[in-house]
Amino acid sequence: MQILSDFQLHRPASLDEAVQLRSELGDGAALYAGGTELLLALKMGVLEYEHLIDVKRIPGLNAIEVQGAALRIGATATHRDIETSPLVAEHVPALSKLARHVANVRVRAAGTLAGNLAFGEPHADPAALLVALGATVELLSSGGRRSLPVEQFAVGAYETELGEDELIEAVVVPLPTAQTRATYLKFQVLERPTVGVAAVARDGDAPTVVVGAVDEKPVRIEASDGVEDYVNAARDAVDPVDDLSGSAEYKRHLTGVIVRRALEALAA
Amino acid sequence: MAEPSVSGTSIPRLDGPAKVMGRAKYALDLDIPGAAHGVAVRADRAHARIIGVDASKAEALPGVIAVVTAASVAPIDVRFGHISRDHPALAVDKVRYAGEPVALVVAETRRAAEKAARLVRVTYEDLPAVIDAEDALADGAPLLHEVHPGRTGDEGFHNTGADALEGNLCAANLIEWGDLEAELAAADVVVEGEYRYPMLYGYAMEPYNATALFEEGTLTVYTTAQHPYMVRDDLARMFALPLARVRVVVPYVGGGYGTKSYTKVEPLAALGAYATGRPVRVALSVEEAIFTTRSDGAVIRARSAFKSDGTLLARDFDIVMNSGAYSDNSPLVCAKLAARAFGPYRLNALRVRCRSAFTNTTPASSLRGFGAPQGNLAGELQMDEAADRLGIDARELRLLNVVRPGEEILPGKRGIDADLAADLELLTESLGWGEREGVGFGLAASDAGAHPTSTALVRIHGDGSASCAIGATELGQGSRTVLSQILADGLGLPFEKVSIVQSDTGVVAYERTTGASRTTTLVGRSLLAACDDARRRIRELAAEYAADVQDAPGGVVADGEHLSYGAVIRKWFGSGGEVVGVGAIRRHGEFEKLPPFWEIGASGVAVSVDEETGRVVVEQLTTVGDVGFAINPLLVHGQDLGAATMTLGAALSEELVYDGTTLSNPNVVEYRVPRVSDMPAKIDQILAERRDGIGPFGAKGGGEGAGNTIGAAVAAAVGRLLGRYPRELPLTPERVWRLAQEAAPDRETEAVRG
Repeated sequence: MQILSDFQLHRPASLDEAVQLRSELGDGAALYAGGTELLLALKMGVLEYEHLIDVKRIPGLNAIEVQGAALRIGATATHRDIETSPLVAEHVPALSKLARHVANVRVRAAGTLAGNLAFGEPHADPAALLVALGATVELLSSGGRRSLPVEQFAVGAYETELGEDELIEAVVVPLPTAQTRATYLKFQVLERPTVGVAAVARDGDAPTVVVGAVDEKPVRIEASDGVEDYVNAARDAVDPVDDLSGSAEYKRHLTGVIVRRALEALAA
Repeated sequence: MAEPSVSGTSIPRLDGPAKVMGRAKYALDLDIPGAAHGVAVRADRAHARIIGVDASKAEALPGVIAVVTAASVAPIDVRFGHISRDHPALAVDKVRYAGEPVALVVAETRRAAEKAARLVRVTYEDLPAVIDAEDALADGAPLLHEVHPGRTGDEGFHNTGADALEGNLCAANLIEWGDLEAELAAADVVVEGEYRYPMLYGYAMEPYNATALFEEGTLTVYTTAQHPYMVRDDLARMFALPLARVRVVVPYVGGGYGTKSYTKVEPLAALGAYATGRPVRVALSVEEAIFTTRSDGAVIRARSAFKSDGTLLARDFDIVMNSGAYSDNSPLVCAKLAARAFGPYRLNALRVRCRSAFTNTTPASSLRGFGAPQGNLAGELQMDEAADRLGIDARELRLLNVVRPGEEILPGKRGIDADLAADLELLTESLGWGEREGVGFGLAASDAGAHPTSTALVRIHGDGSASCAIGATELGQGSRTVLSQILADGLGLPFEKVSIVQSDTGVVAYERTTGASRTTTLVGRSLLAACDDARRRIRELAAEYAADVQDAPGGVVADGEHLSYGAVIRKWFGSGGEVVGVGAIRRHGEFEKLPPFWEIGASGVAVSVDEETGRVVVEQLTTVGDVGFAINPLLVHGQDLGAATMTLGAALSEELVYDGTTLSNPNVVEYRVPRVSDMPAKIDQILAERRDGIGPFGAKGGGEGAGNTIGAAVAAAVGRLLGRYPRELPLTPERVWRLAQEAAPDRETEAVRG
C-alpha cells in the first residue's frame, strides 16, 4: 500500500501546546518529527494512529548547544544537523561521524536523533554510542520533566520508557574530557546495521563497550581484561536471531570481530 | 552503402535533458481525463481455493465505482500469456501465489480504491503449497495447474518443450550431441558440482502501471511495456477484438531490463475499464511490482570433462528452474538457459537438460541475460576449477577451447560472429591477470536477437527532412538516439534533420519485441531497408523529369544537377507531399539462420575479501563490448556498465528469500540492489569493433552480455582468494565467511606442504 490511512494532523506552535496535546490524545496519537520510520509503518498498515502531533515547527526545538558540561541536542535536530554541526564535531566527534553514516542523505535530512530513539528500532546506529557516552534523554509531560539514561530509556524492540503523555525534549550528551577517546564502528550490508559497536575510553579507564543493532536494545559488555576478554564477553553477551542480515551464529561471530576492531581503532 | 558519418559518434542522447530535468512524461504522468483508479486485492496465501469474495463493505465506501472479479466480467476469458495462456489477470477459482490479484477495486480516487481494497473479504480453503522447484517436480507434489495450459502456438516460441508437459513442469528443453558417456570415460579430469543462482527482482525505478480506456470500439492502453505489440496481441485475445482495434501506447519507460517484456498489468486496467466504462489506471507500488514478476532461480548440476592437456571433451548439465505460478516467459528462458549454459567452447559431446517448474511463488520471466547469468555461473566456474586441477592457467584453458570466428557452438545455428579469443586477451590484460590476486573473468555467447521480425516506416517530408516510425521501445537504453543516427546515415542527412517516433501500435510499424539486445541490429536493418525503399521512390519520382538519376547524399543527382529530397518531392506533387518507404526483415536470406547474431560477454572483476566479516569489495570492473561497430560508443559503455552492475547485485546481495511460503523481503529496503557507493573504484570499458555483426555497418547487439559473466567472475575471484570456489550466489558476507571457514583447513595443509 502506498497511501496513508486517515489521521488528523496537529501542529503545536510551542512545547506547552505539544505537551497538552499529548495528555489529551494519549495513545491515540503519535509524535511526528522526521517521519522516516513512522510514515513507512503507517503506509504499510503496521501502525495506525488517529492523530499525529507534528513537533517539527516548534521554534528552537532543533537547537544543538553546549550547556554547562553537556551537549544538548534538541528533539527535532536531524541526523544531518548533527552531522554538520561544528559544536558536535568539536565536542563529540564520534557522534558526528556516526551521524554521517546513518542510512542515506534523504533519511538524514528528515530523520531526527530523538525520533530514532523514540521509535525504538533495534537495528539502528545512535543508541549504542549514546549509551556508551552516558547520554540521557530529557522527557517532558504535563506532570513535569524527568531525565533518563538512554540505556534505561530503551526497553526492547520498538519499546521505550516514553510515556503516552510524554515527549522527548532533548538528548543530552555529557561532554567527554579531552583525554576521552570514543569510536563507533559498524558492519552493514542491508539498509540497517548488522552490528554496531561503540567504545569509549575515559581518561585511561578500561573502555566502555556497547553493542548495538544485534539485540533488541544496546548491550553493555562487561569486561576489563584486554581486547580478547571484551571480544569473548561480547560474543557471550549478545543474543542474536536469524534474519536477512545473517544467522545468529554469524552475527555472534561478527560481533566479536567488530568489537575487536573498535577497540583496536580506539587504541590506534 | 557509404561509410557512416553520424553513426560511430557519441552523440548526446536525445532523451537525456528531459529525463534529467524531470520534464519527461512517463505513462503515470499522462493526464487521462475522467480516469478512475484501480487497486488490486491480493492473495495473502500461496495456494488456496477461493470460496467467496465479499465486496459489500468495499462497494459501500464513498467513491467506489466497482469491485471487479473474474466472475463479474464473464464471459470474458481473463487469462493471458504469450506462450501459454495460463495467467488469469484476476484469479479464477483459486490463487497460486501470495500476492496474486483476486479482485480489482475501481474508485474515483486512488485513496478510496486503496481503502476499499482493504475491506474486500476473500474466504479461502487452503491447499498445500510448493515453493521449491525440485519439490514441485517430485511425485505427489501439490499441482498448480490441474489442466496443463498448453501453448498459444506462436512460431517464435516453438522450441519450448510443449510436448510431454505434465504435473508442474512448465517447460523442458534438451540439447544433446555426441557420445557423452564415452567422452566422460576418456577424460582425465571431470569437474562436477551443483550451483545455485538466486531468484531476482529486476528493480526498475518506475513500477508497472497502465491506463486503459474503451472508445469508438477501440481499446487504448497507455503503459510502460517493452513489447507494445505483444501486449496488443494479448489484449486482443482477451477481449476478442481485431488487432486493429487495440492500441498500445508507450511513452518514456523508467527501466525495463526484461521485467517489462510481455503483458503485466495492462489486463487489470483493461478489465477495470471494460467493467466500469471509465478509463482506469492501475499503478503499482514497488512492493506490488515485486509480486508481479521476478527472474527464474536455478539449480544447476554440471559436469565438465577434460583431457590432461586441457582439451574440453564434453559437458553435462541438469538444470531446474523455479518459474513461479504462471508461464509468462519462463519457457523461453528455459530454452535460452539450456543454450547458454555450456559456453562458447568446442565440445565432442554435450547434454543439457533444463526443466522449468511451476511453484507457488511470484511468476518468473525474462531478466537481462535471460538464462545466461544462471548457466554461466556453472559453466565458467567449472572452467576455472578445471584449470586449477589441470595445472593450466585459466585464460590459457579458455583460449585452448574457445571457438574461433565462424565456428558453430550449436549445430545448425549461425557460426560465432565474434573473435572471443581476442576479447579474452583484452579483458585479462585490463584486469592484470597473472599479476595480481583476486581476479575473475569469463566468456559468454548468447543466441540473441530473438525472432528476426522487424518493420520500419520512413517518411521523407517536403522539406527534405525525414522521420521514422518504429515499434521498438525507448527503455532508457538510448534506442531513439541510435536509430536516429542510423536513419541519418541511411538517407545521407544530418542528425538534426531526422527524428524517430516510437511505440504507439496505432501509428508505428510492427516490431515484435524490444529485448534480446535486438534493436540496434534488427530495427537498424529494417530501418535501413525502409531508407533504401524511400530513396528508390525518390529516384522514381525524379526519373519522371530526368533521363539520368543517381543516388546522392540527402537527395539525387538528376541529369547532373543535385536535387535534395525536398526538391524532388515538391516538384512531383506541385504542393506539399511526402515519400514513404517501408522496410521489413524476416527470417529469410541472411536472417534465415538463427540466431541473427551472438551477443558476447567478456567481463571480469578484481575483488578483495575481508575474510573475518565475509565482505567482498569489487575493486575493478572491466567490460569488453564486442559489438561489431558502436553506433554510439558512449551508449554502448552505458549499456555494458549497466548490465555488469546489475549482475554485481546478483553476485553480492540480491536474492528474493522465501521463509516457508512467505516472501521475506518484498521491498527495496530489505532486497538489496547495488548503490552508487558499491561501484568499483576502477572501471575499464573497452570496445572491440571488428565490423563482424549483421546489423548496420557491421554492428551487433549489446546491453546484456557484459552482465552474463559477472556472477561467475565474482565467484571465481573470491574463490581464488579463499582457495575454494563458491557455488551459490549471492555471495553474502555470511556465505563468504563460511566459505573462508571451510577453506581454512585446506589452506593450512597447503601451507604445510608448500
